[in-house]
Amino acid sequence: MKKILTLLISLLLITSCASVAQKRSLKDLSNNDFSVEIPEGWWKPKHIDKFFITKDGHSLQYVLIQQRPIDRPYRNTKKKLNKGMLPQEAAGVIIDDLASDRRIYNFKVIENAPVVIDGREGFKLLFTFKLEKGKKGVIFKTLYYGFISGDSFFNLRYNAAMRYYFEKDIAAFEYILSSFKVVKDNAALKFARDL
Amino acid sequence: MKNIALIIAVCCLVAGCATSRPIPVCQTLTASEEEQMLWRRAQEEQDAIDGSGLLYQDGEIENYLNQVAEKLQTNSISADISFQIKVIKDPKLNAFALPNGVIYIHTGILARMENEAQLAALLAHEMTHCTHRHSLKTLRNIKDRTQAKSATIRELAQLLGITGSIASINGYTRELETEADRVGLDLAVKANYDPNEVLKLFELLKLENEIEGVEEPYFLGTHPKVQQRIENVNRWLAEKNRGKIKGSKNTIKFQSRMSRLMLENARLDLRQGKFFIAQSTVKKYLSVNPDDAQAYFLLGEIFRQRGWKNDSVAAINNYEKSISLNPSFAESHKAMGLIHYKDGEKRRAKKYFESCLLLSPNTADKAYIQGYLKLCTANGEG
Repeated sequence: MKKILTLLISLLLITSCASVAQKRSLKDLSNNDFSVEIPEGWWKPKHIDKFFITKDGHSLQYVLIQQRPIDRPYRNTKKKLNKGMLPQEAAGVIIDDLASDRRIYNFKVIENAPVVIDGREGFKLLFTFKLEKGKKGVIFKTLYYGFISGDSFFNLRYNAAMRYYFEKDIAAFEYILSSFKVVKDNAALKFARDL
Repeated sequence: MKNIALIIAVCCLVAGCATSRPIPVCQTLTASEEEQMLWRRAQEEQDAIDGSGLLYQDGEIENYLNQVAEKLQTNSISADISFQIKVIKDPKLNAFALPNGVIYIHTGILARMENEAQLAALLAHEMTHCTHRHSLKTLRNIKDRTQAKSATIRELAQLLGITGSIASINGYTRELETEADRVGLDLAVKANYDPNEVLKLFELLKLENEIEGVEEPYFLGTHPKVQQRIENVNRWLAEKNRGKIKGSKNTIKFQSRMSRLMLENARLDLRQGKFFIAQSTVKKYLSVNPDDAQAYFLLGEIFRQRGWKNDSVAAINNYEKSISLNPSFAESHKAMGLIHYKDGEKRRAKKYFESCLLLSPNTADKAYIQGYLKLCTANGEG
């Protein structure tokens, strides 16, 4: 009886470990036209169908990387990005979309500056916001890098609870950011097709 | 956690629905548990809204709005309810009243109004929701329906929506909205306002919704829709020849009080990419304040950001007008720099960027401007 019980417990442990391992994998993380290196310990939640990774759970911190068709409309503003835009103008559209988002509160831009990402001119935004109305609720802090390349808008976001988590994992995000590379340049491809 | 709190709130609601005696509206009088609970929830919602950076804070405008509400309340059936009018920074055409008498009006709808008579009609409509206990009626209606259907607590919670007992934010039934229209118009007329003005406001909002393809806002919105609201007003005006009533409009007073708000709302509309509405609001503002450098700058921004053919010329004209009215307004210098920089006119761009930094050394876009200046110089056009 004792042996059966031990066996059952062992089986239970093994299956639960297996499910945790499966849950905490980077499976299904498609890179689109970019590549990045991901530090150890980060994983992709199964239910999120994006290039989205977290370390302690997405409500505490996450990194989201997107390649977005440049003409795709935004949810909260009718403004669109376009190829001729300066990084400052593209940052303006992103700020306008976020500031008009009725699902977030106390949105505040702390920094808006030009940066170079993988050799391309882009922008960096640092902002805070809350997901709940009122004085209560967690304050989130986000670092948002973006640039336009060909027909795509690439953006890399690091979002974390401002208290403790933002500082804790910012080095990991910087590692991801420095490893980021566009592997298929849309502009170059288009040029080749035009020829 | 949120769900649990909601379910507890709903349990409290259901538990408090035992009385059928008449319930006084004012907090100073004895209220039923139901109504007290509604006020508590209203207070919570009010605290949440007020603490979220959503309010447009301008004491002068708030005083003015509260004065108009007081004028209307003189003829109200509940003269002792304590109304408080607040403004939310939001370009949506909305207004709502919490059951405790706090009324929120969005900058969007205030910016579209032409005069005090239109404001009075909106305020009287919202005040009627409070004086006629529309939240309480909605709550009881939901309770009756769910009891009849033997609904679960979860279903009841869903019916009440995320705001729990405060149905006021989500809108009322068509009947209650119609009652608020009719009683509200009566109040406005008793306070000597022209009742025909509200129809003009509704028609304007309907036209704007069509032009911009905006989803119908709640104030005009789902219960009943804007066309039905227009029909309500038309019916009311047709009865007893009320359409011939000529009351006051107080157009000049209203427009001078609202002008700053109008410009702020135009900025919010621009942020959402509603170029046409933003442009017409700035033009309306300029008709009252023709020498405002900020308004011309904003008009320039509308053209520059819209980016249609010839828009850059229109943008430059407005920036130049802005600079001529106020040469030390740094934003217009920056915008001129940007537009010339994009056109490849680096020498001109440099001049404007330099003057911008001189006028506002710590401007938020300083890092970008310094980058442009470096490139202008590197291109040998310094």
